[in-house]
Order: sequence, then structure tokens, then C-alpha cells
Amino acid sequence: MSSAGPSIEPAAGPGDASPSAPWLEVRGLTKNFASIRALDAVDFDVSRGQVHGLVGANGAGKSTLIRCLAGLVVPDAGTIRIDGEEVAIHTPTVAQRLGLTFIHQELNLVPRFSALENIMLGRRKRTRLGIVDWRATRRDLQDTIDRLGITFSLEQRVDELTVAQRWLVSIARALVGSATMIAMDEPTASLSPAEADRIFAVVRHLSAAGVAVLYVSHRLGEVLDLSDTISVFRDGKLTRRASRGDLNRSSLVREIVGRDLQPEAIADAAARETHRAKSAQAALLEVRELSHEPAVHSVSFEVHRGEVVGLAGLVGSGRTEVARMLAAADRPEGGQILLDGEPLNLKSVASAVASGIALVPEERRSEGLFLDRSVSFNLNIGDLKPLRRVSWLPLLHGRRARARARQLSEQLDIKIADLGQPVRALSGGNQQKILIARWLTRDLRLLVLDEVSRGVDVGARAEIHAIVGRLAATRDTGIVAISSELEELVEFCDRIVVLADGRVVGEVSGDAMTHESVLALCYGHAEEHLEVTA
Amino acid sequence: MTTIEQDAKDEAPHGEAPRRRGLESFSGSPLQVFSRYATLIALVLMVIVFSIHSPKAFFTLDNFLNILSQSSLIGLISGGLTITLIVGEFDLSIGYMASLAGLLMPGLMSLQGLSITFALIVTLLVGASVGAVNGLLVAKARINSVVATLGVGTMLVGASYTYTNGQPIAAGVPTAFLNFAVDKVIGIPNPVIVAAAVLGFLWVILNFTDLGQRLLAVGGNPEAARMSGIAVDRIKIFALVISGVLAALTGVMLSSLIGSGTIAAADGYLLSAFAAVFLGSATLRDGEFHILGTVIGVIFINTGINGLSIFGVPTSYQNIFTGGILVLAVGLSTVARRVAAR
Repeated sequence: MSSAGPSIEPAAGPGDASPSAPWLEVRGLTKNFASIRALDAVDFDVSRGQVHGLVGANGAGKSTLIRCLAGLVVPDAGTIRIDGEEVAIHTPTVAQRLGLTFIHQELNLVPRFSALENIMLGRRKRTRLGIVDWRATRRDLQDTIDRLGITFSLEQRVDELTVAQRWLVSIARALVGSATMIAMDEPTASLSPAEADRIFAVVRHLSAAGVAVLYVSHRLGEVLDLSDTISVFRDGKLTRRASRGDLNRSSLVREIVGRDLQPEAIADAAARETHRAKSAQAALLEVRELSHEPAVHSVSFEVHRGEVVGLAGLVGSGRTEVARMLAAADRPEGGQILLDGEPLNLKSVASAVASGIALVPEERRSEGLFLDRSVSFNLNIGDLKPLRRVSWLPLLHGRRARARARQLSEQLDIKIADLGQPVRALSGGNQQKILIARWLTRDLRLLVLDEVSRGVDVGARAEIHAIVGRLAATRDTGIVAISSELEELVEFCDRIVVLADGRVVGEVSGDAMTHESVLALCYGHAEEHLEVTA
Repeated sequence: MTTIEQDAKDEAPHGEAPRRRGLESFSGSPLQVFSRYATLIALVLMVIVFSIHSPKAFFTLDNFLNILSQSSLIGLISGGLTITLIVGEFDLSIGYMASLAGLLMPGLMSLQGLSITFALIVTLLVGASVGAVNGLLVAKARINSVVATLGVGTMLVGASYTYTNGQPIAAGVPTAFLNFAVDKVIGIPNPVIVAAAVLGFLWVILNFTDLGQRLLAVGGNPEAARMSGIAVDRIKIFALVISGVLAALTGVMLSSLIGSGTIAAADGYLLSAFAAVFLGSATLRDGEFHILGTVIGVIFINTGINGLSIFGVPTSYQNIFTGGILVLAVGLSTVARRVAAR
């Protein structure tokens, strides 16, 4: 597949070739979010035509750096220079004018427009009559199309294209906008190996043509292959700047994790330990070979009564997809879910709720809350039937409803002015507590928490852990918890199942369960996967 | 009125209805507060002006009953539309449904020889079925509700002509049916009683039942509603069925009132209902559909039209009044919210 692309030599690191000043210079860039230092005095350079790999665990600071460059976040301190001139990137428009282009995983394309329309969005050629001159547009574009090796028809609607093709459209769009630097966020996360090769060829081609590429990926193999320079982020700091050949896979993992580790040994020991501890007890939840292409392939694991099981994994590992299938928010394409040994055939979230499975979704505000409704509405909506005056009439008992809402909010220490207050203005922690409290009046057998405490402050986070822990301990509810922050899972879970590329790659518990061991498993697998496919 | 408020305070689940009213009514910028009461203030001013101008024609019990009578038909159809808009969908078939029902009801009695009761049951069932079709198209087939209900509505126009061959139905309708719309109980016209009962029923459903909570949830955030275990599809179908039944009931009342089945008699109710419901959404609340607002919207529009005709303003100006008031009220509310959000 890669041979079909433009026949251009891999970039020989133009950054090294020209000793002149770099095109983009970042000095002392710092950004705080509340009490968290997301970026800590980062110095960072990009030269024209350089492929610059950015690696680090979730929350290490690489995405904050990119957001600063994209004009989405205004840094607290530090300078950004382009061609030696200091710039202030206050809005995405400014970033674009400076030649900085960003392609996010979601690929901000208009699904119903054709590929061509998307590429030319906002900059169409017009005839004298003011009509879009598509012929001239296509002629001008031919060069770019050839350079990217685009073979599919640009007349196709974007939502009919594959993810890889959409990436090519996004890149073409960036080139038409005369980008000097393109930042790509996890370009290969949902691509097949062949499709990924296509993207690698394009990245090399861009570099040869003098366009710098900021390459963000959790797949270390491809970062090592492509990058002229690699910057490693840890805890908001740029902890290592390496040139091509300075690092190999294991030393790069060590840089990211901050310690030396052997993933296979950990996984084996951990699995043995878990097996010993839990084998005596029948499982509450058995997930057998659950599949949902392309994100989840044959995932199996168990959850016992009263056990808190973490699902860890990098972006694109399939953890959210698994969580949603457990709660029947999505339907599995293959495999089985057993609750107390009984196979479940859940048709809707409502049926999952009826079986005692509830989900606290990842996107709290868009998928969980009724923002303009009151605290009590949001608390009671998950379980209305017991609030009826008589069971066969839908008339609600207002006083009982209010009393229950008040009791729940006191029990979980939800800080509110009054029960009628809309939830929109509440803090993330209080909103999350409401979403958990919504299910507490039911006979809950399994609670799935996708992003246990994203956007929740430290104090409320501990409270949420305590609430969920108590639920597991006192009511024997099984808990499946997802978090992008591995520290949180390590602290909070009895056992962690690690997913990578939609497969279970390991399981850790007890003393073997550390931030480093989980992270190493995440990356360890990504390595293997690449070795297999390379 | 105070007793209803009192009851509401005691009864409303979660303290929702009165609490929200209490919170929203006087919170926000002065412009926002004003915009919430603008419709009511304008209604009072209108009544005062009309009363001073023609106390003998306007400010009489008979005329007020007349206004309520005229309001009751639009009120019924608007009540159904309110439920549909609350769940976040549109129903553009209601006017045509009402017109069809206005032909079916007298037609079933005079052409098919059904009794009043059976004719009523069949007509309302047709309304429910049309609503169910709308609901299935919107909730299951996921067709945009504007398109789905417009398509179904257009088919209903065709059905009306097919049923009557384009002829009005005047003969053979029992007098008992014709008398219904003009008869009164303790001085109150029957249509007013029917509308008050239906709207009161809808108000209870929305504010005091778990069904109402589900309707509000689906309208507030469909995805969150699904994640809360609510059968969103079923709720949407329910809303559109209610809308269809009430449109049919409106048509039945209209045919009794005009004493015959007339082609396309209620087509215009579509726009009047939308005007009333949106006017109501800007009343007391910030752009949220609610039954009380709808009632005020309907009464406001009919009071205005009544007063203008007493003033001797040509009827052709009525639509200018209705449309103008709608744009003004909703515009004021929207601008007030935007200013407050800055």
C-alpha cells in the first residue's frame, strides 16, 4: 500500500540539515487549570519539514500544548515565536492564519458535503457571475490530490468515506489552506494497518515538501519510525527531547512511564494472583468474547460481587464501547454478557436498568444530565415508579418525591442551594454525584462508570470513590470503572483489566497493580501489535 | 387562582412546577423578567383599552364567554401541539387532521348512519391512528418530524376530498349534535368546558405524573433520557397520538359549531395553534413550552381579534395582528435571554 503513494524518500530530518533558527519556538509555556499545572515551563521547537512526535500518558501535557498552539487555550505564561516573531494565538482563526493546522480525531468535516466541498470549505473559486467554479477548483486541486495519492472520487460524500480517506481529505484541506505545520492527533487510532501505512507515507511526503508535522500517538512504534524528533511529556513537563535513533521502544516506554518495567512478567503474576483470589467465587458479570467492529474484538472478563474492576486503556482501546455495551446503550455484534450466570439479551437501556445494570455515561452534560431541569428532577428521573401514589396510576406523590431527592442529596453530600435549582450551574463533582445517586434507589447489581471523575475536583473525587466503594461493599454491587487517569484506577479499583486496540491485553491486581505496570501493559501491547503488522 | 397555586405547591412532584415558576419568574435581568410578563401585561392593557373604547360591546359577560368559546377550539388543538413540541418534535398535520375530522364526524352520521357516540369514537380513533403513524415515522423510521407530519397532513387533505367528493356535508346530521357546541351548562358553553377539562388533564399529566416527567426528560435531552432508561420512542409516539386525537376532537367541535362538514374548515388552525403555543412559551417561562402559557397565548390572540373586530378593523388585519404579536413576544424573550447570557 505504501508503495502506491508518492515515491519520495523519507525525510532526512531537515531540522538537522539546516542549522538556522526553528520555524516555531515555544519558550516557558505554562498553563494551570485550577490547582493542576497542565503545562510547566515547556520549551519546544519545530522546524520546517520536521516530523515531531509527541508522546506521554493521558494528562501529561501534550494535548494542552497543542490546544495552546491551536488558540483553544490561552497560556498563563511563556512565549510563542514564529520565524522569530512573537505571536499571540488567541483564537483558532489566528492559528490558521499563521499556518498552524490541527486535525483532531473527530476530524471536523461536514459529513453531508462531498470531499471536494470539504476541502474547499470557505475558499471556493468563483466565476464572474459569482457561481462556484468547480472546474477551476478541481484543476487547482489536482496537484494536491496527486501529491497525497488520493485515488477515490472527491465527489463522494464525506460520510461515505472510510476513516483513512477522511484523514486524507483533512490533510488536503490543510494543504489548500497553505499550512506550514499540521498537528495530527492519533491519526491511526481507528485505522487498519494498510490504511495506517497510507497515512505514514503522506506524513513523510509532507515533511519532504517542507510541511512540519506534529505527530501525537500512543503507538510508539510508528512515532519512532516517523519522527525526526520526539518530545516526551510527563506531569506537564517536557522531560525528554530525543532525535531519531536516540531511543528505542523500551527506552521510550521507560521515558514515558518514568521507570523500567517488564510488562509480560507483571501480567502473568497479576493474572495468577487474581485467579487465586477470586476463583472460589462465582462471577456476577461474565463478559464472553464481546465484539463490536471496528472498536472491540472478542473482549472477555469477569466482575465479582462487590468488586471494583477498572477498565484501562489508551485512546481508541475500546473501553467506552465495552462500557456502553454492558449497559445496552449500544448493541454488541457478537459475544455474550452473563449476569449471575444468566445470559442477558438487552434490547435497550431501559431493559438493562430493569435487570439492575446502570451506566454513568462519559459525556456527563450531553448524555447524562437534564441541564435546565432541577436537582430533584435529575435525581428522581431514573426511578419514578416507586413515587406513584398508587402503583397502577401514573400520579406522583410530590412530597415523597421531594423527600427522596432531599435524602439522596444529603446522603451523598451534594452541595445545592435548593432542590429546585437547575443542575447546569452545579460543579462537575456535584453533577457526577447526581448521576450516581439517580441509580441508588434501585436494586443495583452492576454500576458502570465511564470516566469516574473527569472534570471533578480532588475533594469531590475522593467522595465519589467513597460512595461507589460503599455501594460495592454494602450492597454487593459490581462496579466497572473507566478513567483516563491511571492513578485514579490504581487507587480506586480492586483489579484492572487493560484493553488495547479493542482486546484484553492483561489484568493486574494487588501489589502488581501500579500506575507504571498498567501503563506498560497499554504500551506493551501497542508495540506488539505494530510488530505484527509492520 | 390562589387555590390552584397553593395546591400546586403542595402537590407538584419534586416541587418542580411551582419552584421553577417561582425561581424563573423573578430571576434574571430586568428585561428577562419583563419579557416573561409582557404577554400578560399586554393582555391587561388590551382589555382596558377595548373596555374604555366600547364598554357595551366588549366589556360584557356575554362577550367574554364569546371570547372563551372562540378560544376553546384553538385551545384544544394547541394543547396537543404543546405536548408534541415539548418532546422536541413538530406536528404539521394537525390542521388537516382537524379538517378531516370535521368531515368524518357529520359524514359518519349522515352518510354511514352511525350514532353520535360511535361516530365520535371512530373519528377520535382515526385521529389516534394518524398520530400513531406520525409517531412511528418520527420515532422508529427517524424521519424528520416536519417532513413526516407534512407528508401525512397532505395525505389527509387528499383523504378529505376523497371522502366527500369535495361536497360539504350539511343534511342528515342529528340536531342533538348540532346543538352541542351552542348549548351551555350553568351559563358556560360546552366547548369551553371540554377545552378546560382537556387542558386541565394535560396540565395534570405534565406536572404531576411520571409520564409528564418522561415527556419533559425526552424534550430536555433525548440522549440523557435514553441513558436514564426512558423509552424515548414510545414517549414520542405517545405525544404525537395525543396531538392527533386532540386535532380530531377540535374538528368534531368545529363541525358541531358550524353545523355542517366543510372542506378545509380547520386548515388555518395549524398556524393559529403554532402562534398560540410559541406565544405561550415566551410567557412566564424563558422559551419553554407549557400548558398554562398555551392557554394564555390562545386567550391573548382571541381577545385581540375580538377587540379588533369590535373596533371595526377589517378581518384581513387579524392575521397581521396575530403574526406581529407572535414575532414581538418571542423576539423579546429571545433577545432578553441573549442579553442576560452576556
